[in-house]
Amino acid sequence: MATTGHQPNDPALTPRRPSAVDFDAATLKAALRARRTQPKSAETLAREKLLLPHLPTNDVPRGPVRTFLSTLLHRFILLLIQTLFSIYLKLRWAYNNIMNRVYSVLYYHHRTPQLIEKDVKPLKEGGKFPQHVSVILEMEGMDGIDRLVDEVAEISCWCAAAGIPRLSVYERTGVLKSYIATSHRAIAQQLRLYYGRSRPTLRVHAPHSRSFINGDQPTDEAEQIDLEVMFISEEDGRESLVDLTKTLCDMAQRGKLSSDDVSVELVDAEVKETSMDEPDLLILFSPNITLRGYPPWQLRLTEIYNVQDNDGVGYQVFLRALHRFARAEMRFGR
Amino acid sequence: MPSELHTSRTRRWLLSSPPVEWASTQLKELFINSVRQGPVPQHVAFVMDGNRRFARKNHIETVEGHNMGFEALAKILEVCYKSGVKVVTVYAFSIENFKRPLHEVNALMEIAKIKLMQLCQHGDLLERYGASLRILGERDMVRPDVLEVIDEAVEMTKHNDRSILNVCFPYTSRHEIAGSVRDIVSLSTSAEPKPPGSPSLSDDSMSSGETATPGITDFEAITEETITDHLLTAGCPPLDLLIRTSGVSRLSDFMLWQCHQDTEIVFIDCLWPQFDIWKFLPILIDWGVKRRKMEKAGLVEVKREGNRKDAELNSHRQRELEERRRARLRSF
Repeated sequence: MATTGHQPNDPALTPRRPSAVDFDAATLKAALRARRTQPKSAETLAREKLLLPHLPTNDVPRGPVRTFLSTLLHRFILLLIQTLFSIYLKLRWAYNNIMNRVYSVLYYHHRTPQLIEKDVKPLKEGGKFPQHVSVILEMEGMDGIDRLVDEVAEISCWCAAAGIPRLSVYERTGVLKSYIATSHRAIAQQLRLYYGRSRPTLRVHAPHSRSFINGDQPTDEAEQIDLEVMFISEEDGRESLVDLTKTLCDMAQRGKLSSDDVSVELVDAEVKETSMDEPDLLILFSPNITLRGYPPWQLRLTEIYNVQDNDGVGYQVFLRALHRFARAEMRFGR
Repeated sequence: MPSELHTSRTRRWLLSSPPVEWASTQLKELFINSVRQGPVPQHVAFVMDGNRRFARKNHIETVEGHNMGFEALAKILEVCYKSGVKVVTVYAFSIENFKRPLHEVNALMEIAKIKLMQLCQHGDLLERYGASLRILGERDMVRPDVLEVIDEAVEMTKHNDRSILNVCFPYTSRHEIAGSVRDIVSLSTSAEPKPPGSPSLSDDSMSSGETATPGITDFEAITEETITDHLLTAGCPPLDLLIRTSGVSRLSDFMLWQCHQDTEIVFIDCLWPQFDIWKFLPILIDWGVKRRKMEKAGLVEVKREGNRKDAELNSHRQRELEERRRARLRSF
């Protein structure tokens, strides 16, 4: 360490800090301050010599021609790198897509809940199993909403068969929230395809609209719902936190709350109440991980999973995410 | 698999021989300068995960693992600043880490102190790249002796203005967001003289809080940007890239507000001390290729090294782009 290195044998330093021996921070502070003023010792010079070749040169700017030529060279190299990289990406895409096909052939659910149950059984016994799964879906094109509802219905069936009680579906624009009844019908229909007549009970809702559509069982047996599907959108993220801030400001101005009362626990309780709790697993069906405005507060410890180069909803992605989740060790903090 | 600590002696000798070293330095330089010509993320965040596991795997002391992690950080910082990244944010210590046994926390604090000292030694490096050090986190959770070191280090690099190094120590994103909300609430109360609730408290927080921001009289005017501007990363350009090492695919309460929109998140399966330029450059190039595609599609604005804009202008443009994108989505 440098402080111990030039402590005793540097005469410029010794008179300045007589009490430095007993207090560590004071030693350090003095050493730091001394760094600026002290004459460079031989050791410092040697260290600088070692460091110097690794530092950028800050010499006088080169002539315009040389700068131009070097810029040209670097542009060319970049173009070369990007071209090669694009070729590599294409190859990787092809390989991964073949693998995804293989997976989806090997693990197909055949619309049989028993098969899905068999797939997840070792995970449930061996490792962790999520209780709340979240997915990010995207609406594309004119007939997007039909496809979206179909995808929601499929994923709901997988969750019901795997024994995951809660599913939240994130779609940026929030268009699903206005199709709650339609979605309920579609999911129920799909569940009937999987299960036959005795399908699991289902509840579909969205956080803000508070419109609980309870198709099969009205209020009296609300506890025994097998699958709960929730639609969330961008407004449940930042916007809900902004609304919360406004509410807190309002309360503070009326003297009901002091600003010191605002804590992580308070915000957490409010967020849980108004939107949703933290999902255990977030599955993305996109080729890269961008969260597209997913509610930030809830993302704290959520496992985020996607399949490289995969684009589209598939059972194999769902299953691989569950496998990955079971293997991960849970550690708080870093 | 032989670990990289125990590479054969001949190989190490070969790698450290002057011609090979010269060539690899030149190659790195060439790559970095080339990457600089394309789109480069303005703000990169790292979760430096895996130091302890690296130490365990290689049967060395945990402290040694953390020191090697710091070496890796110094190298990566050099690559970042050379290739034109403006802001680098690293997750050094989480508030959750305080829950670890006391002796371990103390050891970590000592390590942090040594690390900051090293950062000051390398301060020449930070100075060369014009990087100023900022410590983001809950100050009152830090021991006073560590706090003194922190202040000293921040003070020393305060005048550098070309780039920023944010060290999150002790930090969690939830505390950051809650703190931002708290600041806004206290600003809104201190602006209003009417309420008889708790004037002394709000006056207090006003004087200690933001001095540049005037009080918020109309709380209906609060927007997402208000919260963004009261976060610890206020003034930094939007986060473009977040990298977490060691194959854990969780954010662990890091940069939640900053990374949940358009940030590219990369989970890479290598421990932090092993994370070097050859693992980092592909990520940078990948980001650049994707960004180029988005630029061609007109989803993002073309930004290049050379035409400099300040952070506020940047966030303003970002907002405009966001509006445009939303309008496009609505038109479906």
